[in-house]
Amino acid sequence: MTPIGRRTLAGYLFLSPALALLGLFTLAPFAQGILLSFQSWDGVGLDTPWVGLENYRRVLADDVFWASMQNALAFGLIGFVLGNALSLGMAVAVSANPRGAVFYRLAYYLPGVFSVIVVGMMFAWMLQPTIGIVNRTLAWIGLAALKRNWLADPLTALPSVAGAYVWYHWGFGFLLFLAGLQAIPRELHEAAAIDGADAWRRFLFVTWPQLRPVTTIVGILTLVSALQIFGTVQVLTNGGPAYYTEVPTLRIYKEGFQFNRFGVAAAMSVVFGAVLVVLSVIQMWIGRRAEAD
Amino acid sequence: MDHIRTPAARPQPLPLAPAARRILVTLPERAAYHGLLVVVAFLSLFPIFWLFSGSLQSAPELYGGVTILPRTPQFRNYATAWTEGHFGTFLGNSLLYASVTVAVILFVASMAGYALARIEFLGRAAVLGLILAVMIVPLPASFVALYKLLIALGLANTRVGYVLALTAGGLPISIFILRGFFVRQPRELEDAAVLDGCSTWDVYWRIMLPLARPGLAAVGIIQFLYVWNEYLLALVMFSTDALMPIQRGLTQFVSSDTPEQHILLAATAMAVLPVIVLYVFAQRSIVQGIMEGAVRG
Repeated sequence: MTPIGRRTLAGYLFLSPALALLGLFTLAPFAQGILLSFQSWDGVGLDTPWVGLENYRRVLADDVFWASMQNALAFGLIGFVLGNALSLGMAVAVSANPRGAVFYRLAYYLPGVFSVIVVGMMFAWMLQPTIGIVNRTLAWIGLAALKRNWLADPLTALPSVAGAYVWYHWGFGFLLFLAGLQAIPRELHEAAAIDGADAWRRFLFVTWPQLRPVTTIVGILTLVSALQIFGTVQVLTNGGPAYYTEVPTLRIYKEGFQFNRFGVAAAMSVVFGAVLVVLSVIQMWIGRRAEAD
Repeated sequence: MDHIRTPAARPQPLPLAPAARRILVTLPERAAYHGLLVVVAFLSLFPIFWLFSGSLQSAPELYGGVTILPRTPQFRNYATAWTEGHFGTFLGNSLLYASVTVAVILFVASMAGYALARIEFLGRAAVLGLILAVMIVPLPASFVALYKLLIALGLANTRVGYVLALTAGGLPISIFILRGFFVRQPRELEDAAVLDGCSTWDVYWRIMLPLARPGLAAVGIIQFLYVWNEYLLALVMFSTDALMPIQRGLTQFVSSDTPEQHILLAATAMAVLPVIVLYVFAQRSIVQGIMEGAVRG
């Protein structure tokens, strides 16, 4: 056997367990999902008749599905603007104040390692209408008029869930911004300081432009993760009141596992997956370009 | 902050004289920074504190008014959740799923990562691209089809099916992180080993794998956390309580037993306590893994 032949054989032998697992549990479901989106399946029998484009027609006409996409987008925008503004502020503050940096880093990222279910349970407990700390605090400081059933009120349900998401997610942006800040050459700040720029101007004219690739990546990753919110919403509101906090994954889950319309659920997955893939490709492309610079 | 590694080697900042540092951050700015740091740290930690405080209170304390700390910690809440809520079973299941998944991932991903880093074989670029592509489609867009596949294979509602599906899910990012570690190792050791007559397997198993230990630790911890926190797949594929992992057990407990608030808080605390301990001791590896995942993924 030629050396290249031997190396190729060795390479694929080393790769074979990984390729087998990925093929069976990642690529096969991917193909299966696309096929299923043109079929009808009740989730029980083995009979899956072809229905053509019927599932997609239903998805296009499903207002709740598109509303769920809008809600996910709202979570993404709130996470992007509010969450990442906080993350960036925290990162700037930590890198300017090395004292206690270890503790702050530990504290900020801690929520990020929790499960979505635990996060949901925590916020459900704090927002509990009668004995939750939020309403009790409002009563205690004399703002009892502001007390409400946060998760059941159409006006506050989405912002409340978004609050839980921001809390859960801010450590992630913080870590990326912190790494980005540390990569900015210190001389730039010194030169600006010598020219008389105060902290705000240095931020505006040095930090912010230098951080642009990081900001873009954090932004897209925030959007991608917000679109996939599921467990926390299921625990907090299960999509309600009505469909005010419905999200795509929850919609797909209900369509399949509660209404037994797995073909429609598969078509929703394809539409939803396409959006996520486009976002990820954009992110990778930007990441490559930033690394090449 | 030396342990947050940026992807490329950056020039080290010049050491600053104390006077120069004072130019950079004035006193009022420093005060503003400190204010922000303290407020956000409080916001980060308070919900966690509030969970644990509530989990140790008696029902009258919990329902009666605001109790910051319970007068006598009610560890019996935990015992109730452990026995009546079957949290002993759920925690045991999660420990099993997480350990087995991590072990399989480390073995399979390190072999693949080594081959992709060091063996020059035909089609390497294509395989690398394929694994990168696989990483893009996330579980929320594929769980319906995965469920159908698990049924077809007779693996729905089984421990083996859950572990295999999670292993496949964790492989791409693990392969990329480990490949990075192997690429960064010096070649001399390998060359010497080959001259001594070592086979490719020996080079991987006896020389490269021990060198990649920090990478293996990072990947192992990240994947352990991932499996411990996994919910969506467990939700759709398990119908037998005795097989459910902890996160699934938690929502099962809420929907089937409608537990009292203090028992539910104790159950939630049990689900998160191992994660907090792991995080405090392995923060370096976790942060490093997240950064690599974000930059590459």
